[in-house]
Amino acid sequence: MSFITTLIGTVAFAVLAPIVGCLLAGLDRIISARMQGRVGPPLLQPYYDVRKLIAKDDVTVSGVDGVYMTAALVFTAFAGGIFFSGGNLLMSAFVITMAALFFIMAAYSSRSPYSELGAGRETLQVMSYEPMVLLMAVCFYMAAGSFNVRDVFGLPAPVIFATLPAFIGFLFILTIKLRKSPFDLSTSHHAHQELVRGTTTEMSGKTLAKVEVMHWCENVLFLGWTALFFLWGGPASLVLGVVVALAAWFFEILIDNNFARVKWQFMLRSAWVMALVCGGINIVVLMVA
Amino acid sequence: MQLIAFLILFPLVVAALLLVVKGDGLRNVLVGVSAVVIAAASILLAAQYLGAAWVGFEFSSQAVDYLACAVGVAISVAVIGFGMKYKNYFAVGLAIVQLVGDLVFEFGFAHAAHVEVGLYVDSLSIVMALIIGIIGSGICVYALGYMIDFQKHLDEHGEGMTELQRKDRRPTFFALMFLFLSAMYVIVFSNNMVWMFTGWEVTTVCSFLLIAYTRTDEAIANAFRQIIMNMLGGIGFLAALYFAVVFTGTLSFQDFVLFGLGSPWLVAVPVCLLAFAGLTKAAQMPFHTWLLGAMVAPTPTSALLHSSTMVKAGVFLLIKLAPLFGVCMVASQMTILVGGITFMLCSFMAISQSNAKRVLAYSTIANLGLIVACAGVGTPEAIWAAVLLVIFHAAAKSLLFLCVGTAEHHIGSRDIEDMDLLFDRMPRLARFMMLGIMCMFIAPFGMLIAKWATLVSFVDSHQMALVLLLAFGSAATFMFWGKWLGKLAGIAGSPENVETTVHASEWVSLALMACIALVACIALPIMSSALVEPYIVSVFGQLGEDIAVDNLWISSILAAFVIVVFVAGARGSKAKRADVYLAGVSVDSDHRIFRNSLSGETEATSRNLYLDGIFGEGIVRRPGEVICAVIIVVAIVASGIVPPVLL
Repeated sequence: MSFITTLIGTVAFAVLAPIVGCLLAGLDRIISARMQGRVGPPLLQPYYDVRKLIAKDDVTVSGVDGVYMTAALVFTAFAGGIFFSGGNLLMSAFVITMAALFFIMAAYSSRSPYSELGAGRETLQVMSYEPMVLLMAVCFYMAAGSFNVRDVFGLPAPVIFATLPAFIGFLFILTIKLRKSPFDLSTSHHAHQELVRGTTTEMSGKTLAKVEVMHWCENVLFLGWTALFFLWGGPASLVLGVVVALAAWFFEILIDNNFARVKWQFMLRSAWVMALVCGGINIVVLMVA
Repeated sequence: MQLIAFLILFPLVVAALLLVVKGDGLRNVLVGVSAVVIAAASILLAAQYLGAAWVGFEFSSQAVDYLACAVGVAISVAVIGFGMKYKNYFAVGLAIVQLVGDLVFEFGFAHAAHVEVGLYVDSLSIVMALIIGIIGSGICVYALGYMIDFQKHLDEHGEGMTELQRKDRRPTFFALMFLFLSAMYVIVFSNNMVWMFTGWEVTTVCSFLLIAYTRTDEAIANAFRQIIMNMLGGIGFLAALYFAVVFTGTLSFQDFVLFGLGSPWLVAVPVCLLAFAGLTKAAQMPFHTWLLGAMVAPTPTSALLHSSTMVKAGVFLLIKLAPLFGVCMVASQMTILVGGITFMLCSFMAISQSNAKRVLAYSTIANLGLIVACAGVGTPEAIWAAVLLVIFHAAAKSLLFLCVGTAEHHIGSRDIEDMDLLFDRMPRLARFMMLGIMCMFIAPFGMLIAKWATLVSFVDSHQMALVLLLAFGSAATFMFWGKWLGKLAGIAGSPENVETTVHASEWVSLALMACIALVACIALPIMSSALVEPYIVSVFGQLGEDIAVDNLWISSILAAFVIVVFVAGARGSKAKRADVYLAGVSVDSDHRIFRNSLSGETEATSRNLYLDGIFGEGIVRRPGEVICAVIIVVAIVASGIVPPVLL
């Protein structure tokens, strides 16, 4: 039964998440522009960009990056489908890591010095956030009594009351997951850094469009994870969830615009310390309680 | 019963024949045919007892008892001989202790406990038999082609070596491989703990001889390290036998477990000692160095030690002990902590390695750590995960070792940095290697499902420390596998294909391993219900709340999808090709050469990140060894002196 639900959820996510993600990306650009004292592009600018990318010629260095990106996109859709159809949170986290892996392989495949460097750093980013993601899922499991997302609607109170430390740790690594400054080590929105555009240096046309769409979907999924902490009782609590998710999104944009990029050593150490402290304390408290 | 006897005796006969066969042709036929026979017999056995609970066979024989003792004595004498020859007196001392222990036990104690049911089959031994019979003998087939190249290399480049080092020792090599298989069958089918111990010791001495194969100084030193560590474990096993006879009055493993469940305080010490023996054989910290040293041997040896034999004997014993870990807290905590710490620290150290075989060795130790920790937790979910991990690890790791071995012979290096462009130079091999890597660590492949069950069982049994160890260790596995995978993924230009000279026997076994890995991933739900669950039910009487079947099917579908991507997608596209971007100053884009600021030419090179300053062996190894050693010593002492009431 839940198997079919997951498949339906995946298809639905694949259709809806790009729309929502695209609007969020447009909003991101407008808000960022306002913070910098600019007017910013129209709301649908990300959509125009991607449409233009799709219309371009297929040009590739390795010939396989497009295939890897397709795989990454499909796995992102599955991860979202599993989560939003009320499936298993841990499974969703594992599958999205799989998408990250295919993205990394696409970057490596061109053998461009810039994208290899970016891919190496992207691997580091995954290693930095992965412990906290697992611990976040574990804390959710201990607080909610299940890894299944749909079960939150049966809870008497949102899990945030029992998992505040884990949530704080999660917000910290969310910046890495969203590839926002100060943790945009592997790539950035502008090709003027020392590694050009890092992971996506050699990607163009449809392949680059897939990367963009994947980022939109990822953003929607991660905001969904954020909202999960605030859901309980019945679907009405979704309103609160959406509000919190949007607040977290605004917070990330604020950080993005106010911090300069850090070195990987700082990223790895800080993310692991956060995981150890926030995740560790939370798990101890939940086990004792 | 006849089938079990056949599985134990047939490889022995083959081993004896191989000792006298000198020609390549005859050896190829003999090894090939026997491998098929052993695999077929294992499958037949599995089909016969599929889903069966514990089935014992009444079989006891004075002659076999004496034979077991004689084998033990022969092993000790052989080790003493080697120890004297190479002046390793510590090994000699251990061998003497073991020799005396063996004899005193046989003539002073063993007859106090008569074991009626000498042999048995259950679902776990079926799983093991399939692994040994299919993967183990597959590796023997692979070795045929590999050893021809290996010997050729020795003949051509062996100027600096002594006559002894250059000698063609292949008859002994293949005989030892088959002897190994036979000893493994003894371990997994024996209910009589003395016979099990004999098999245990035979595997130790077989790996000693296989590691020392090339007779170089390094090989000899590493072989002695292996035998010293494993003889410590062996002496632990022997001591456990004494305790078993004295306290429980039985040498039947089944009765020992039943007795222990009833009166845990009486088996606390032997369980701890057996667990210690398991830890040494499964190469857990601080004993992990023997497995790292073992890679000086020809690659098929590593593949055999890592995937289907030796280390698997260690985790097999620990999994068998799992029900007792539920009642013996000290032994259980020791196993859990050593396994968990080993998993995390060895995953860290794997990041800092660029030698492919060393990465594989560390990842084996790490994975064994996870299996060991699961066995220590001892809940139905944890054992479910442990058995699945054993299966996936066997399939994926043998595939990877064989790939690295073949790559080494054809690109002349086992360094991951040299595997750049492997996808072009050896397209088929690169795909096999990528498949193996993926099976090792990512969703949707089984390994991750097993890791997930591990996580669930750690949380449910309130193993806080383990959850943290697992979280950080898993992140490290992503790093070291991911960057290796990335190296392989590179495609550029059109270098020459060096794959054409790979021996057919190597392709056959590579393809076999790849198929097993794939089938295991796609048929995960079926495998779980047909092979693993019957064992859980037979031991615990019930299934744990394991991963829902739906999730297994989702994983199975995703695995199938990845395979489609690899088969269909990686053929290359019709898109227009562009050159790599080199900041607009390229001279030769295919070779990544650009014009530098002095108008000269420079090649852009990049290495993967190894983070030696954070995860280097120099930083991680010592603390890990000390902590694990202290845990083991404290646990063994504590299990003896903690008042029985507390247990």
